[in-house]
Amino acid sequence: MPATVASVAYLCASLLFVMSLRGLSTQESAPRGNWLGIVGMSIAVMVTLAGLLWPADPTIEAAGAEVLSVYGGALIVGGIIGAVVAARVAMTAMPELVAILHSFVGLAAVLVGIGPQLAGADLHTHDTAHYVETQVGVLVGAVTFTGSVVAFLKLRGTFTSRPLLIPGRHVVNLVLVAAVLGLAVLGRVEPELALGCVLGIAGISGVLGFHLVAAIGGGDMPVVVSLLNSYSGWAAAAAGFMLSNDLLIITGALVGSSGAILSYIMCKAMNRSIWNVVFGGFGEAPAAAATGGAPAGTVRETQVAEVVELLRAARSVIVVPGYGMAVAQAQHPIREISDRLQAAGVKVRFAIHPVAGRLPGHMNVLLAEAGVSYDLVKELDEINEEFAHTDVVIIIGANDIVNPSALDDRASPIYGMPVLEAWKAARVIMLKRSLAAGYAGVDNPICYRDNTLMLFGDAKASVNKILASLQTP
Amino acid sequence: MSHALRVGVPKEVFPGERRVAATPSIIKKLTKLGVEVLVEAGAGEGASALDAAYSEAGARVLDTTQLYAEADIILKVRAPIELGAGAHEVDRLKEGAVLICLLWPAQNPELLQRLSAKKITTLAMDAVPRITRAQKMDALSAMANLAGYRAVIEGTHAFGRFLGGQSTAAGRIKPARVFVVGAGVAGLAAVAAARALGAVVTAFDTRPAAREQVKSLGASFLPFDWKGESGEGEGGYARQMSEAYLEAEQTFIAQEAKNADVIITTALVPGVPAPKLLTSGAVVSMARGSVIVDLAAEQGGNCALTESGRAVEKFGVNILGYTDLLSRMAPQASELYGGTLVALLDEILEDGQVVIDYADEVVRGALVVHDGKVTWPPPRPAIRAGAPAPFVPPTVEPPPRPIGSPWPGRIGLGLLAPGLVLLGIFGSAELVERMTVFLLACVVGWHLVWSVTPALHTPLMSVTNAISGIILVGGLLLSRGRGLEPGTLVGGAAVLLASINVAGGFRVTARMLRMFQRAPDAAARKK
Repeated sequence: MPATVASVAYLCASLLFVMSLRGLSTQESAPRGNWLGIVGMSIAVMVTLAGLLWPADPTIEAAGAEVLSVYGGALIVGGIIGAVVAARVAMTAMPELVAILHSFVGLAAVLVGIGPQLAGADLHTHDTAHYVETQVGVLVGAVTFTGSVVAFLKLRGTFTSRPLLIPGRHVVNLVLVAAVLGLAVLGRVEPELALGCVLGIAGISGVLGFHLVAAIGGGDMPVVVSLLNSYSGWAAAAAGFMLSNDLLIITGALVGSSGAILSYIMCKAMNRSIWNVVFGGFGEAPAAAATGGAPAGTVRETQVAEVVELLRAARSVIVVPGYGMAVAQAQHPIREISDRLQAAGVKVRFAIHPVAGRLPGHMNVLLAEAGVSYDLVKELDEINEEFAHTDVVIIIGANDIVNPSALDDRASPIYGMPVLEAWKAARVIMLKRSLAAGYAGVDNPICYRDNTLMLFGDAKASVNKILASLQTP
Repeated sequence: MSHALRVGVPKEVFPGERRVAATPSIIKKLTKLGVEVLVEAGAGEGASALDAAYSEAGARVLDTTQLYAEADIILKVRAPIELGAGAHEVDRLKEGAVLICLLWPAQNPELLQRLSAKKITTLAMDAVPRITRAQKMDALSAMANLAGYRAVIEGTHAFGRFLGGQSTAAGRIKPARVFVVGAGVAGLAAVAAARALGAVVTAFDTRPAAREQVKSLGASFLPFDWKGESGEGEGGYARQMSEAYLEAEQTFIAQEAKNADVIITTALVPGVPAPKLLTSGAVVSMARGSVIVDLAAEQGGNCALTESGRAVEKFGVNILGYTDLLSRMAPQASELYGGTLVALLDEILEDGQVVIDYADEVVRGALVVHDGKVTWPPPRPAIRAGAPAPFVPPTVEPPPRPIGSPWPGRIGLGLLAPGLVLLGIFGSAELVERMTVFLLACVVGWHLVWSVTPALHTPLMSVTNAISGIILVGGLLLSRGRGLEPGTLVGGAAVLLASINVAGGFRVTARMLRMFQRAPDAAARKK
């Protein structure tokens, strides 16, 4: 098979990936976008396999049955595992799934990077550029791998979501980076040590990835997961440079930019700089500030009966969901409440903050799962003006994203973060387990406002009780 | 005291006053506080509450003498007045009793003397400080809200035309223009009521904070800025302004008055006569048949021609100086006023006894006579940061500038430029070619992803996750020969991992995307 055929097929696959991402710009075109991606991927895999069977370079032997069976087996087994996991995963567990999938790409990139050396290929027959490409691929791949594993464990709760802050952690990071650089140089000047150096780089990068993500608090996971998404793309792109494969470069670049933009959006939504998130440690200083100048006040506790009465009397209602809704799996009863209110002529909307949940767009997915019409689901900018004209706001499992301190308290660690201005509504009902502070460890003055009623207890139980009372006329 | 505390509700004696301090439903709330309630026979007549209803609610109905003889606490609407023939309402109270009513201590110094001589512990509802905690005891706001509404109703009645516009077969009716002077609680209530009737409403206030509130009710706000003086006084009330300011204000209002069909004036400054904002000149310039409703009539009126308590016609303009607007809504006014009384009583009752706590800001503010001494005015409280008045939302600073410096971008460009130069000098042709593809793809990706709707960010992640599984192509390419070798096995492992990604990513995306639907599709799916 001539090399040009493969190149053109790769070009087609690249274009299909571009159109696939383009399709995601609206809900209507998104399913088609997904299909285009599938078609692109199939073309890429089949053309590559065909290239192995009928090599363009006559000096290269065609792949035999053993090779094909190894690859075919891997494709089928991997495909089945992926499909089964994807079909079974709960929508609330999406962040974990996405994180662990990133780790696979990272590990695959490491394998692709060190594969040729393990197979006995001599890196020194190539120029420096190729050498650097390989090492970059291994470095980024290994950081992605261990970082994603840590993120996965943190999201699952296996690992504490508190940031792991060892003293002098920045120095540790610097030392690790210096060690990687040192090994890279050593491997280049001492050819016989090359294999050891590559493995060493993989190992040290893995430790670096672990340490970097362990130092980041659970509340920052949306940023971390997007960043790792970005890294997995860059790792694929680096592999593309190493293998001189444009398809890998283009796809890697697309994925890399995508993750970078998502991270940027998340950071902006928290009014934090990316460095602040990446190098972690958020959550120590604020805790001190919260105990120091806590604007303690009195909260007004309410009961389900009063909430139901308020909802019945309301003309417009906005629901503000947060991670707590995902944890409590309360999206289904919430949707039923929304249906019931709408049937009674109440205007119901859902307000989504960009960092609500543990993944960009997480709340949207959960509400979609519950069957909430997506034109009821509004973004921060669309809905913020509306709160002032709203009768009742229900805050479920959200805290920092509705904290008025972000606007008016210069001393607050979240000052400057854009928030949903829920307190402007006539009545705010906050469903909360207790009066504990939110993820950022910051006291939330919204609880002490006169128009705020606190409904304490498990979110799902409370929501179910509200639903039950609404159903009985 | 062996018996439970007795709370007496006498009949109001002020001429024309129809309100009563407690309606039967308020009696129930009072009883819940653990007190016994006594009501004077006929007290609720003006407010459509019969004695029988009071008895049913748990009150004992007594005659005047008995009531005052037994009651430990007297709840009233109006301040005690002269009864004629040298008698005074204060004389009826038991020595040492508690009196709670609207008292206007600043205007009634001799009444305070009289009360202190009789050792009456007196709480003035109009002196309750306007702080957030005391909102439920804010009788003035509750009353002003009703008065503002009623002013529009009375004004419309006298006006004799539609307030809203209409297009009829017989011709087009223009909406009336209502001009509200003073956008306090009463003013805002008037704005809302006039808007609801369809009028074109303009409002004026010297406090800049009023702008947002007026706008939120759908009326336009007339800004008045004079040498930077703001009319914002303490506790959300207006303050008294200088002479020259007043003159400028009068000229400004006269300009607006010319075009107005109905003017509702509500400008009051605590403790002083109402400012004369509408001059007789302004009234002359108004169209015949237009109406002025002067809510400040009792405090002298905002209009120079207002006659307190009466409706008069001057220069063809109806000027309503009614002082009994609240009595015209007596049942509701009584109900709301009673509610504020219950809230204040709750504040001073402890285990069925009256406990006056000087440290309680609300009680201290309202307390005008105690232990035979006049305790008004209260010492100035420490300045509270932003004590919000009702209807005045907390001032929010302009949103802070987001953190972020242009430096990362500049550094990026700064690194890219020399990087490209180095690439040009030292890079191989192949590397340059790959770099071209890479950088262009980054730019394409950047623009593509910005167009993704935020609601689809999770599917975006799972799709990019799936396509980053393209690394499996790299795994496949590791094998460079016929048979099995280490490279093939390592490559196979990479392919295995990456294909989990590909299949998992695409499948979960498809699953998620199926869930996103609009209401009609959702309904279809349910069937």
